[in-house]
Amino acid sequence: MGLRRQNLKRRIYRDRHLYLMLIPVLLYFVVWHYLPMWGTRIAFQNVRFIGKNEWVGLKHFRVLFSSPIFLKVFFNTVAISTMKIVFIFPLPILLAFLLNEIRNPHVRQGVQSVVYIPHFLSWVVIAGVFISLLEAPDGAMNKVLGVFGFDPVSFMTSSRHIRWVFVFSEAWRSMGWDSILYIAAINSIAPELYDAATVDGASRFQQARKITLPCIAPTIITVFILNMGFFMNAGFDQVFNMMNDAVISQVDIIDTYVYRVGLRKGNFSLGTAAGLFKGIIGIGLIFTTDRLSRKLTGEGVW
Amino acid sequence: MKRLLMTGLAMMLLATGLFAAGTQEETTKIEGVPTIRLVGKDFSPAEEWNLKHLDQIEEAFAQYSGQEINIELVEIPEGAYAEKLNLMLLSGDVPDLIYFQGGDEVIANQGLLTNLNPYIEKSEVMQKVLLDFNKDRLANYPYLLWLAPPRARTALVRQDWFEEVGGEVPTTVEDYYEMFTAIKANHPDAYVMTDTGNTNRMDYTFDHAFGLTASWVRENGNLVYKKVSKGEQEKLAFYQKLYAEGLLDQSYVTTAWDTMEDKLYTGEVGLVYGTAGIVLDIYENKLNEKQGVGMVALPPAKGVGQGYSVSSAKETRGWAISSTSPYPELVFQLLEFLATDKGQYLDRYGLEGIHYNLEDGNVVFTDESANWWPRFHNVMSWEAPTPVLGHSGQDGWDFLMKYSVGDPDFPIPEEMSPTWDALENLYKEYAYKVITGIESPESFDDFVAEWYALGGDQITAYANEKLN
Repeated sequence: MGLRRQNLKRRIYRDRHLYLMLIPVLLYFVVWHYLPMWGTRIAFQNVRFIGKNEWVGLKHFRVLFSSPIFLKVFFNTVAISTMKIVFIFPLPILLAFLLNEIRNPHVRQGVQSVVYIPHFLSWVVIAGVFISLLEAPDGAMNKVLGVFGFDPVSFMTSSRHIRWVFVFSEAWRSMGWDSILYIAAINSIAPELYDAATVDGASRFQQARKITLPCIAPTIITVFILNMGFFMNAGFDQVFNMMNDAVISQVDIIDTYVYRVGLRKGNFSLGTAAGLFKGIIGIGLIFTTDRLSRKLTGEGVW
Repeated sequence: MKRLLMTGLAMMLLATGLFAAGTQEETTKIEGVPTIRLVGKDFSPAEEWNLKHLDQIEEAFAQYSGQEINIELVEIPEGAYAEKLNLMLLSGDVPDLIYFQGGDEVIANQGLLTNLNPYIEKSEVMQKVLLDFNKDRLANYPYLLWLAPPRARTALVRQDWFEEVGGEVPTTVEDYYEMFTAIKANHPDAYVMTDTGNTNRMDYTFDHAFGLTASWVRENGNLVYKKVSKGEQEKLAFYQKLYAEGLLDQSYVTTAWDTMEDKLYTGEVGLVYGTAGIVLDIYENKLNEKQGVGMVALPPAKGVGQGYSVSSAKETRGWAISSTSPYPELVFQLLEFLATDKGQYLDRYGLEGIHYNLEDGNVVFTDESANWWPRFHNVMSWEAPTPVLGHSGQDGWDFLMKYSVGDPDFPIPEEMSPTWDALENLYKEYAYKVITGIESPESFDDFVAEWYALGGDQITAYANEKLN
C-alpha cells in the first residue's frame, strides 16, 4: 500500500507540468459546469429579488407542462432534433473523408478555411441571408427554380419546407467546423496501413471503407453519443431568428416557448425547470445510446 | 431709494416664494451630495454624450431643487435589455432609478418597486403633464412612469406617389382601398405597403373602422376578445383582398423593421406604418436623403369607429424607483424636474454645440441632432420654443391627440400566460393563412371554436369578470 502511494507521488511529481496544465481546464469545468448545477434548485423555487427564495416544489414544471401547446412544442423539438441528427451528423464525416482525398495541401487548406467560415457567422446574419435567398417570388433560389421551369416556393412560410430550411442552414453552418475532429482522427491513422493496402491493390474507396472508417469509428461513436446529450436543444438562436407567424405551429420549440412565457417576463425559474427537463432527457439518451452502442459495436463513451 | 430697495427686496422674496411653490413638494434637504444610481436602455456611461447630458441635468436640478446630486449611470451588458436587467437585479445590484422595457411585473410583485401614485398625486408638474391614459395605467399599475405619446403607428405615404393619385387624404376604408389601387396602377412593379412579420402596424389604421375599438369588444352583451370577433373576420377579408391584388407586400411576414425601411427607401413599397412622432420624421428624412421625396402622414380609417386604441392595462415600459433606494423622494423629484420645461429643453434638444446652436437666443439644430433622442421623457404638452418634430412627426402626434381612444384592458395574470401565449400563436398563424389566401375568411367560425377550446373560454370569463 505504502509502495503504491510512493509510486503515485513519484508519478505526480514526474508529470507535474502536465497536471499544472490541467488546472485551468478543471477550473473551467468547475466554475462553468459544476457550480451552476447548484443554481438549478431555482427550478423548484420562486426567485425573490429581496430575501430568501420561496420553495414551491413542482409548480414551474406544472406551468411548463400545463400549456395547451406543450405537447406540440415538445413534438416540434423532437422532430427538428431528429432531422438534424439523421441528416446533419453524417455530413462532417463525409466532408472529412473528401478533404482527406485532396492531395494538394494548399487546395485542402483553402477548402478547409472556406468551409469553416460559416461557423463564425451569427444566426442573425445567417437568418437574414437565408430569408433573402429563399424569398418568394424574387429570392435567388426561386430565380434558379424559375430557370428550370418550376413555380416559386415560399420556403420560409411553407410548413412543408421550413424544417428542411433549418436542417440545410444548420448543415451549412456547422458541417465544416464539426469535421475538424474527424480530420484529426483520420490524420492519426498510421500511413503504413494505407501503404500496405496500396501494395495489395486496394482502391481509394476500398481504403476508405476498410481502413479509414473502422479507424475513426470510436470517434464517430463518442461524438454521436455525446451529441445525444444535446438532443433537446433544437437550436434556439436559429429557430428564434428564422421563425415567423406562418409556421409557428411547425417550429415552436421548448426553448422559444420558454423564452416567451418565462424568460422575457423575468421568470427564470420556468427557464431553469425547462433546462432541467431537457437535461434529464439528455442524460437518459446518453446512457441509452451508450448501452446500445456497446451492444452493437462494442464501443462506448466510458 | 430706501423705498426702492424695500420694493426690490419684497419682489425678490415674492419671487422666491413663487418659485418654491411652483416647483415641487417640500422635500427634506439631504446632507452632502447624494448619489442617484440609474440604469437605462442604450444609456451607457461609456458614451460621452450621456455623461455630458447628466452633468447638465445635475446642474439644472440643483438650481431647480436646491439639492446637489450626483447621477451615476450603471453599465449593463449589451443584449436583450429586459433579460440583462433582471439578471443584474437578481445579483443584488439594484439602482435607484430603473428603466424597464418588460420583465417588471415579477419584480413589482415582490415589492422591489415603489408605488409612484402618492408622489404623483402631490406633484403639480405631473398632474399637468400626465395624459388621461397615463393616469389610467398608473391606477392599474403604479410602478412605471412613462411620459410619452401612446405608441400608435401612423400610416406614412410617399408624397410623390400620394400626389400622383390626387393627394386627397383618405377617410374611409373604401377611400384607402381606392388610393391603394390607384398607386398600384401607377407603380405595378411595387407593392403599396408592407408590415413587419404580422399586421400589427396596419391594424392601428384599420382596427376601429372594422369595429375593433378595444381589446375586448361587446358582442351580444358579452365581452369577447377582438381577435375572435366578427369585426376581425371582416378585417382579415379586407387584408386578404389587399394581398391578393398585390397591394400588400407578398413577403410582409418575413419582413423585419430594417428591411421594411429598406423597402421604403428603395421604392419597393410606398407606404409604411411608423410610431407617431420622431420615427415618422426619421423615415421622411431618410427617404428625402435617398430619393429627394417627402412623406405624408395619414389618419386612421373611418368606419364603425375611427381611432387608435390606447390600452389602460399598464405601461409596457417606463421609469421605476427602487423600493430599496435611500432617496425615493429625491429620485421622484428628479423625474419630475425632467418633465418641466427646463428638463424637457435639456432632454429633447440634446447638447448645445453638438446637437444645436443658439443663434440670437433661438435653437438652431445641427446635423448631429438626428442622432439625439430624449433619454427620459417625451412630454406631449411641452411647447418647444423651436419645434422638435418635423411636419410628419407633428402630424402623427396631432392624429394621436385627436383620435386616441381609451382601451379598458388588463394585464394577463401569470398563471394564464401559457394559455394566452398559445391563443396568440393560434391567431397569428390563422391570420396569416387567411391573408395569404390559404384559408377562406369563411373558416373564421372554426378558428373561433378552436380558440375557445384551447383556453379562450377561461380567459374570456376572466375578462368579463374583470372588466364588468
